Amino acid sequence: MSNKKEREKRREERLAEEQRVDTTDRRTRLLQLGAGAVFLMIAVVVVLIVVNSSSSGSGGDTKLEEVASVEKLLNGIPSEKLVIGDPKAKVHLIEYGDLQCPICRAYSEQVLPEIIQKRVRSGEITLEFRNFIIIGADSTPAGEAAVAAGNQGRGWNYIELWYRNQGVENSGYVTDEFIESIAKGAKVPNLAKWNKERKEKSATEELEKTTKEAQNFGMNGTPSFAIEGPGTKGIELLGTGESAGRLEEAIEEAK
Amino acid sequence: MSMNFPREGTLRRIIAFVAVIGIGVATYITIADSGGGAPACLAGGGGCETVAESSYSHIAGVNIAIFGIFGYILLLISAFFANDAARFGGFAVALGGFGFSVYLTYLEIFKIEAICQWCVSSAVLMTILFLLTATRLIGYAGADGAAVPSGGAEGEAEAA
Repeated sequence: MSNKKEREKRREERLAEEQRVDTTDRRTRLLQLGAGAVFLMIAVVVVLIVVNSSSSGSGGDTKLEEVASVEKLLNGIPSEKLVIGDPKAKVHLIEYGDLQCPICRAYSEQVLPEIIQKRVRSGEITLEFRNFIIIGADSTPAGEAAVAAGNQGRGWNYIELWYRNQGVENSGYVTDEFIESIAKGAKVPNLAKWNKERKEKSATEELEKTTKEAQNFGMNGTPSFAIEGPGTKGIELLGTGESAGRLEEAIEEAK
Repeated sequence: MSMNFPREGTLRRIIAFVAVIGIGVATYITIADSGGGAPACLAGGGGCETVAESSYSHIAGVNIAIFGIFGYILLLISAFFANDAARFGGFAVALGGFGFSVYLTYLEIFKIEAICQWCVSSAVLMTILFLLTATRLIGYAGADGAAVPSGGAEGEAEAA
């Protein structure tokens, strides 16, 4: 009897010991695996950062993108100052924007092409860009350059190409070199005239006028849209038009 | 062994709590980015817009905040179980999230040159979770789940 009990006791002890060894093993393995994962993670992060820092990412480069697609979007559409579309069109859509504003760029890339293709090209509406200087000091030379390009019928080409090549706001990418590269890409016919006019006081005054106008409308962000047509009482504010669908609704109502 | 460590139940509850906050932050970023938020550049601000509009904000067309939501959900789940799979899985997810956060913060500061306070708060939460899950793994790896008091139900109640 006592012999049997002792045997059982020893057996239990042996099992407990085995389990303890097993647990310790598992613990060691898990901790080793964890340490390995930490080293792997450090290596991955270091590699990612090294790879990224070797490719220059700041907006300083002057190689322009999408020159051809902007040209295609606007080709053949009447253009005067910062207005595109048939001057006889009854509905007038106005965008108050800042060339440095990334959301304006998103609109220009994702929302406005559809409006331009469907509504402006067909002669239904005119589309106007008015500078609303809100992001920073660099927005002013950018806007002045657009106004001067507008004097030669290339205003929207300038604006659209700018957005396609926009850098990070207030990062210093708005240099004379960058401004000129956009003008060349937008095919402003007389660059000397453009260069003179963008530095004239009248260009600055134009920006001040449209910015003040937007402020008087109570707008506090860009892009903000406004519309005028037979169906509206003077200029009606649309706020930020979110999607092409909503802008189109507003156009229908303004007819 | 566990004398120097907080009780696992306590760790699990804190992990669940921080993970829930993380889900909230990442969900907010996702919604704001998908256009539900204020899609306008306001004078003075703009850091978040710049970050969200940068080419780094999406991987293969998927907003990185969505990866964040998944990570936090996995961490929340890991807090409900007292076994080695949950201890190690939680640690691995938090480690990945922490490494990714380090990389993203580097991008914000040196590449995008704009700071988004929402992204920073997510990075801070991920760092806290990394420390918590590491403490949990070091303190309790190999420990028997049943020996640990504190039921998953309590953690669940807190999370809800």
